[in-house]
Amino acid sequence: MSGSGNAAKEQLLWNVKKEVKQIMEEAVTRKFVHEDSSHVIALCGVVESCLLHMLKRRAAGFLRTDKIAALFTKVGKTYDVASDICKKVQDLLQQVDGRKSQPVGQESLKRQSSATSKALALTPQAIKHIWVRTALIERVLDKIMQHIVDNCSKYYEKEALLADPVCGPILACLLVGPCALEYTKLKTADHFWTDPSADELVQRHRIHGAHGRQNSPSKRPALAIRKRHSSGSTAEDRFAASARDYVESLHQNSRTHLLYGKNNVLVQPKDDMEAIPGYLSLHQSVDSLTLKWTPNQLMNGTLGDSELEKSIFWDYALIVPFSQIVCIHCHQQPERGGTLVLVSQDGIQRPPLHFPPGGHLLAFLSCLENGLLPRGQLEPPLWSQQGKGKVFPKLRKRNSRNRSVDLEEMPVVETAADYVFRIIYPGHRHENITINYHHLAASRSASVDDDEEEEDKLHAMLSMICSRNLTDPKRMKDISDMMEIQGFGAGLLPWQLDPCSQGSSCLSCSTSSSPYDLPSCCSCIHDRTPLKMLCESMKRQIVSRAFYGWLAYCRHLSTVRMHLSALVNHTIIPPDKPTNAAGGLTKEVWSKYQKDKKNYKELELLRRVYYGGVQHEIRKEVWPFLLGHYKFGMTKKEMDRVDEEIMLQYEKVMAEWKACEIIVKLREKESQTVTKFSSGSSIDSHVQRLIHRDSTISNDVFISVDEMDSVERELKVQEDPLLPGVSIDAPTVVAVLEQQPSVEFDSPDSGLPSSRNYSVTSGILSSIDDGQSVCFEDGAEEETGLDPQRPDKAHKTKGLESKGSVTEESLISVCSAAYTIEMLDTVALNLHRIDKDVQRCDRNYWYFSAENLEKLRNIMCSYVWEHLDVGYVQGMCDLLAPLMVILDKDELAYSCFTHLMKRMSQNFPNGGAMDTHFANMRSLIQILDSELFELMHQNGDYTHFYFCYRWFLLDFKRELLYEDVFTVWEVIWAAKHISSEHFVLFIALALVELYREIIRDNNMDFTDIIKFFNEMAEHHNAQEILQIARALVCRVQTLIENK
Amino acid sequence: MAGGERSGGGSAEVVECREHLFKILVIGELGVGKTSIIKRYVHQLFSQHYRATIGVDFALKVLNWDSKTLVRLQLWDIAGQERFGNMTRVYYKEAVGALVVFDVTRGSTFDAVSKWKHDLDSKVLLPNGSPIPAVLLANKCDQKKDGGQNSSSMDQFCKDGGFAGWFETSAKDNINIDEATRFLVENILANLKTFPGEENDVGKIKLDTDPMKAESKSQCC
Repeated sequence: MSGSGNAAKEQLLWNVKKEVKQIMEEAVTRKFVHEDSSHVIALCGVVESCLLHMLKRRAAGFLRTDKIAALFTKVGKTYDVASDICKKVQDLLQQVDGRKSQPVGQESLKRQSSATSKALALTPQAIKHIWVRTALIERVLDKIMQHIVDNCSKYYEKEALLADPVCGPILACLLVGPCALEYTKLKTADHFWTDPSADELVQRHRIHGAHGRQNSPSKRPALAIRKRHSSGSTAEDRFAASARDYVESLHQNSRTHLLYGKNNVLVQPKDDMEAIPGYLSLHQSVDSLTLKWTPNQLMNGTLGDSELEKSIFWDYALIVPFSQIVCIHCHQQPERGGTLVLVSQDGIQRPPLHFPPGGHLLAFLSCLENGLLPRGQLEPPLWSQQGKGKVFPKLRKRNSRNRSVDLEEMPVVETAADYVFRIIYPGHRHENITINYHHLAASRSASVDDDEEEEDKLHAMLSMICSRNLTDPKRMKDISDMMEIQGFGAGLLPWQLDPCSQGSSCLSCSTSSSPYDLPSCCSCIHDRTPLKMLCESMKRQIVSRAFYGWLAYCRHLSTVRMHLSALVNHTIIPPDKPTNAAGGLTKEVWSKYQKDKKNYKELELLRRVYYGGVQHEIRKEVWPFLLGHYKFGMTKKEMDRVDEEIMLQYEKVMAEWKACEIIVKLREKESQTVTKFSSGSSIDSHVQRLIHRDSTISNDVFISVDEMDSVERELKVQEDPLLPGVSIDAPTVVAVLEQQPSVEFDSPDSGLPSSRNYSVTSGILSSIDDGQSVCFEDGAEEETGLDPQRPDKAHKTKGLESKGSVTEESLISVCSAAYTIEMLDTVALNLHRIDKDVQRCDRNYWYFSAENLEKLRNIMCSYVWEHLDVGYVQGMCDLLAPLMVILDKDELAYSCFTHLMKRMSQNFPNGGAMDTHFANMRSLIQILDSELFELMHQNGDYTHFYFCYRWFLLDFKRELLYEDVFTVWEVIWAAKHISSEHFVLFIALALVELYREIIRDNNMDFTDIIKFFNEMAEHHNAQEILQIARALVCRVQTLIENK
Repeated sequence: MAGGERSGGGSAEVVECREHLFKILVIGELGVGKTSIIKRYVHQLFSQHYRATIGVDFALKVLNWDSKTLVRLQLWDIAGQERFGNMTRVYYKEAVGALVVFDVTRGSTFDAVSKWKHDLDSKVLLPNGSPIPAVLLANKCDQKKDGGQNSSSMDQFCKDGGFAGWFETSAKDNINIDEATRFLVENILANLKTFPGEENDVGKIKLDTDPMKAESKSQCC
């Protein structure tokens, strides 16, 4: 067999494996696979490639263009399963033919738009692979494949993949899985086309979660990110009962995860035997990692029936749980591939595994490294190199006196191709010592005065020691220890301060009481240098490293303090002192407070809110306190006074903007009329205007008598529902206006040019004609010159006079005069925006009936009226809605909303808080989860954190269900006094951290992440997020406190 | 037996199945119906019950463009009042087409069209430096009071404004939405042909493989 032929076969088989894996994964997450899934097509494609490999020409039918068809037909002659498939395919093709003759099927564009006509139609790809696809969907492809393999000589050349004694049966076995799946024609939207949804990603993550929740080993762990370990049941490695089961167990299945598979790995089972080829595979179950090597003779059943012969091969097969392995020796030889020896705890070396040349050894190690992940890792770790993936660590060999011990054991020291990796479990108790020992070994005792590369390596290690010592104590110890951040130092300081006492004894022996450490040292180190010298050198290095580690740690901490100290309150208020606050602010506690206000401290109440929220029944009472409408400790009387003031203010504001609204409505009617007169649609007029740029102001004020009349009549009709509280005869409005002008125009916010302000009194005192002229002055200004309608105006003015209703006249003129055109434009714009958003605000939530939406609008308009400089910005409705639901009282909601907006309005475009949030997120994640930060940076750099925009703008209101919004908001409000004024940052961080493995494992870029969180909206576990967020605050607090 | 020839009808030619992923922006003033257009286009439904978009929303539409081309449209539904500085620049990044929407019943939304187009052209360009194709949608045409739309002035406006074309659409009555997007995709594909080799070819899948190629030419008894 030629090498290239083998490589081709391997590639073909690898393709199949990949597709099988994909389809199985889809099946697991979706419970079914759609027939038109791209994975089905892809699998069919790669299987066909295998089938076509070295197919005998006779079998392919000499002149037949479709060789697969020929093959199936031929197989069908002798094998009835295949002949069934032939029949089915022919039926299908006839149906397709029938469709093709219809005109509908021809237009490829039509096909997609009209889903109905597609009911039976097969996609072009499906037709292309119809043979394999039909066999697969009928779930007999594996049987047919097995049949072909069994009778391969009939159809295939000797060198064919299917005729290969190893590959052929493997291929058939690979297809067993996909043939056990259910395929469906069910059309659910077009989800099978789309990228995996957020739900699916989360689900997939749960499936693989066992090994996912961890930092990847190559990256420096963050400062003390605590990970929960999934505690799955121990999946035992049982030898499968039957051979077939066993072989199947080698493939991907629901219990174990096939991490690596490679055939033709040679093993010499006995000293006096030739090495024999076999299939090497690496399996991961919930919490064990197992290596298997199976002789080819068992894999493909080419042995005779002799049970004895078989049983011998069974004896040769290897099953090695990695929990027993402490050490891996690798010998890499460029020409001959690589050899790998596993050494177990008891020092016994397993038979060497000989990998074929071509990077397989490295691939295996890289898979192994990943597989070890939740708890274990390779030491030294493989290095990641950009563009090349994992590479062997570069180790400098030296012939110096410092030569490392385990190097000497290697048969070929000089070729820089031998490595010793150890499998370590950082979670283990004596980790500190183990790590340091390993760094020692890994660095090959390089002298410290080395070149830059060596220096860098040293630094990398130092930071690792440092960070691990910072991190792991927290990660691994009880939660009670969690708070005790001094644990960081504890790992380091003893050595630093008192290196001799530790170092004087031989570290490698005396202190490694771990069962993993001691024997491994013995097995790895056959040391010829005097033990004393070794200890001395170790001691020196430990001291120096400890010092560097301590230095790096201090630097890091000072950065942390500089960037983060402003983000949290420095006093840690614990959840359990004086009492456990997890129960939250309950009704009983609240009524106790109300009875005895003096003895209840505000902070204590807030602490309860922060750690446990507010009981829903009392939210209505508590929220005004939390938001600042009432102050804690107020007497009933004081509270009533506050309410009264607010009530008055609210009514006043309502009257103001409602009056203005009338004018705005009127103007709108007018401008509509004008556009009607100016012929053509409104768009046309705008087109004209934009093209010719004759005018810059879009509000025309000309109006015909008839139109004016109807407008006024309509207004009259509308007035009553518009202003339930305020009667609308002109004098009232005027009165209101008379009271208000100073408020409106002197407000520093208004920013209106004073020359534009027409005094109300002048409007009232002037004659009707004067009023008119004032009223229309702006219009006259802009229209001067091009005015064919000018006569209309005169006509209209007369008409109005003749109408003689002085009250109405003065109403219009006075009101128009009271506001500048700019102001009216602003109000009109804002009203329109508010209307648009109020109409579509949370209509799915029961509370928002038409009536309550009207209230929502009133409150919103009132707020915006008072803040016209900012105006209405989308999102404000979202912030008001939950307040209304809870408070259910207009003035109260208005007041609380105003208080809420003091903080929130800073997030809106004019504020600038949003940028600060993003910058703070950057610092926080950099320090708390540097790996994720790096990933964000690499994948198109979305460290601008724009994907958090909606979170911050709305205080997570869109991300959570209504009930959760209440809880989260309370905690945010209370957090200001308890832990951090910027608690939203920590919630955001919690959201990112909660899904960090999904983000990392799917290599999400900006689009992915924003899409993911959009889809996850309202699917989060709010309690979990709050818990994480509180813990994160606490961590930052501890970091800062621990100087 | 007869079936065998059928599926092999394409002879031994290698059929390339091209798959494109296009990022398309949907922009325009608040409340002009951007989300409704997208929902109509992707989910074939219309409802009054949408919430205001904050930030950005997504939708994916897959088109079997022709027998050899699969087009996946990633529609970016960008909030109408998105004024947060640099953020739209990030949203616009790598887009290859845009739908600019206005509301025929509100002239001011049409005024804003030029603003949006300008914003678009200043923030995103095709790899060759030309502006991305944009189609103007005059939405809510079902609510238009008068029938007489002056299409020549709209054509002129599109020409002046650099729009590839314009359509009167209605998400409510499903008017012209498929047509408009198809028009946009045609423009995008045309751009792709003029400047091939861009990274938009996410998945160029060759389903046929080599082993048989050499063989099929040789004849044998």
